[in-house]
Amino acid sequence: MPIVCALVPAYKVEVARLTQPELRACPVLVADRMERGHVLDLDASAYELGARVGMTLLQAGAHFHGSAQAPRIVVDDPVRDRALWERVLDALDAASPLVEDTAEGMALLEMRGIEGTPERWLATVRAALAEIGLPFAVALGHNRFVARVGALAADGTIVTAGNTPALLGPLPLHVLGLDEPTIERLDLLGIRTLGELAALPHGPFVRRFGPEAKHWHAWARGADDTPLIPRPRALRIDRTLFGEGSAEREDQLLFALRSLIARVCDDVAYIGKRCGVLRLQLECEDGSAHELLAHLAQPTALPTTMFDLLRAKLEGTTLRSPVTGLRLGAERFEEAGSPIGLFATGDPDPENVAIALARLEAALGAQHVLRARIHDGFRYESRFTYEPFTPQPAPATPHVLPAAASMPADSTFTLRLIQPRAIAVRMHQGAPASVGTSAVVKLAGPWRVDETWWGKPLQREEYDVLLADGALLRITRESGGTWFVCGTYD
Amino acid sequence: MPALARSAAFATLKAAVAMGHREASAAAFVPAGKRLIPTGLADVDLALGGGFARGTIATVEGAPGSGRSALIARLLAESTAHGLGALIEHPHGAQGRLYPPSLAAAGVHLERLLIVHADDDVGVARAADIVLRSATCSVVAIPAVRLSAPVWTRLASLAHRADALLVALGPATDELRYFASLRLELQLTGVRWSNGSGLFGTLAGIAAHATVLKHKRAAPGKQATFTCATFEQQGAPLVTCLQYTLTRSHPAYHIARA
Repeated sequence: MPIVCALVPAYKVEVARLTQPELRACPVLVADRMERGHVLDLDASAYELGARVGMTLLQAGAHFHGSAQAPRIVVDDPVRDRALWERVLDALDAASPLVEDTAEGMALLEMRGIEGTPERWLATVRAALAEIGLPFAVALGHNRFVARVGALAADGTIVTAGNTPALLGPLPLHVLGLDEPTIERLDLLGIRTLGELAALPHGPFVRRFGPEAKHWHAWARGADDTPLIPRPRALRIDRTLFGEGSAEREDQLLFALRSLIARVCDDVAYIGKRCGVLRLQLECEDGSAHELLAHLAQPTALPTTMFDLLRAKLEGTTLRSPVTGLRLGAERFEEAGSPIGLFATGDPDPENVAIALARLEAALGAQHVLRARIHDGFRYESRFTYEPFTPQPAPATPHVLPAAASMPADSTFTLRLIQPRAIAVRMHQGAPASVGTSAVVKLAGPWRVDETWWGKPLQREEYDVLLADGALLRITRESGGTWFVCGTYD
Repeated sequence: MPALARSAAFATLKAAVAMGHREASAAAFVPAGKRLIPTGLADVDLALGGGFARGTIATVEGAPGSGRSALIARLLAESTAHGLGALIEHPHGAQGRLYPPSLAAAGVHLERLLIVHADDDVGVARAADIVLRSATCSVVAIPAVRLSAPVWTRLASLAHRADALLVALGPATDELRYFASLRLELQLTGVRWSNGSGLFGTLAGIAAHATVLKHKRAAPGKQATFTCATFEQQGAPLVTCLQYTLTRSHPAYHIARA
């Protein structure tokens, strides 16, 4: 199976250089942020000096002491990186209908059935990528691994079954993606190249290094049976309803919407797919336009599900004049059929969840429908964040699982956060003696928080207090000044 | 028949009769297990006849600090162990919002908990209406907001149809008292501290007393006690534990060292 690999080593660095040409003349580190950041990507000159992905900027910078050129640090822009990579993938569609998006910076194309010679295929891929402006290395191989290694070795490499041992043999073990401890273990055994690894007997090697080792051994011999996984096609189905009068009432609009959905569903069923996203555009008599985006919980071709979801979205939309036109687009297609979990019980229907979420968002606003996530943090308020609730199907729970398996034996006394309000606190011998009008019976604290001295400093003391009126509060003092009540225990 | 054999036969017969006419116990009146959502607290579940019934409205009442939210967290933990749970809050209201790390410590699967922040009482009712109508959550927790009787009628009907428990936290209004199938009142009876006071001390938990004020399927008036450990203290050893006994005397609690 001939596969072409299009590779940009240090993709993020090259994207940064594309927009800032002055970066071409110096070592570049791409970091997630400037302050206390970590290295996400780096170029070959920085790698040679010892910097590695995952180091902090301070650690990576230490490797440049005494070198002629100081590194330039660039903050990553993941949106820009992704947008450019999508352009690359779209461009590669011209070379092959089957393109795998392996990672940003690497794409694989299956060339089986495409007319031409290997040299011609590589030329076609190069021509497709010419307008992008990134320094691609393209190579052809008879499987995924050798195609990738060929691109790493040199641009234009054509790897055949005959020249595979000669190409792979002298390459270092790093191309297998092994971690450093494993490479050190192999080094102790005198194994430093793929050729030396391939010469080892398969059985004893796998028994010694574990099941993963069978892949390393196969790759070192130039064998890789992993199939190519093509990216979904960027199809879009659009249906419009214009010029048939205007819909003044809700029932008229819903009738029109229902007929439009039926047409879209026919088209989706015709291509044997299910769609994951619906985009509804409404045009009104006064010239205003509204667009509603609806993400289906699981891709579907059922008109009732689409209608319920769009109707829920419409509930939150205010239209000031009659609707004269509707346009419904279906996007993000997947193959037909939906997975059904065995032994799953109690899990709600994701489509019902999606419709409920759409209704909640329409009634209360999208920022009010949330899921909490726990983080590490010094401040009590930084130990969690809220994020939008997504209707992903919950993982199936076997019904034999005991209900209270994960519950602690004791009940958990919980904290309730309230809007911090300033309160008068009387101190006695360095500790709160009364809060408001109530005396403090017992207290625990202070727990001091002192952070972000480099930016907006925060100094805080936190106490848990039991008051004479029975209230159990968490109170804080900010920067040695104002006292606040920020939570109650319940 | 010899006397010995006769007495043995009588004993066997009496045992068989006793087996056939065993006295009805509280368990005989407990609905099937699937219809109930247990709190996992043995005493409280016993007082409730097994747990909170699905398809109904229940209230958890009492003063702040009496462990009401702890009980709600248990119900949400049970709900999210199998499916989705919903927590509808009014963050700017008097009750504020539950602290997610403490919910996680109570065993709630946060990835399966739908949190809705409503701006007012009507928003709480609308959110509860939508969530119940979707029939996706087995437990929907709300603050005990002031709503009219028709709204509670609708919510009760939706809870019944969705086979979900709608549990309201806080002091119940007259309308809510009428529509609630179960009312549970909690009272703080003790506060536990570890390591004394000050820098090395921590609030370790509370002891609470629960009274069933109303129960449509069992006799009211049953009582239970339970303890709560502070979410930050779970699993941590308590070096010393000071117990305070709080007796309720209006308007404030009187505190006496036990």
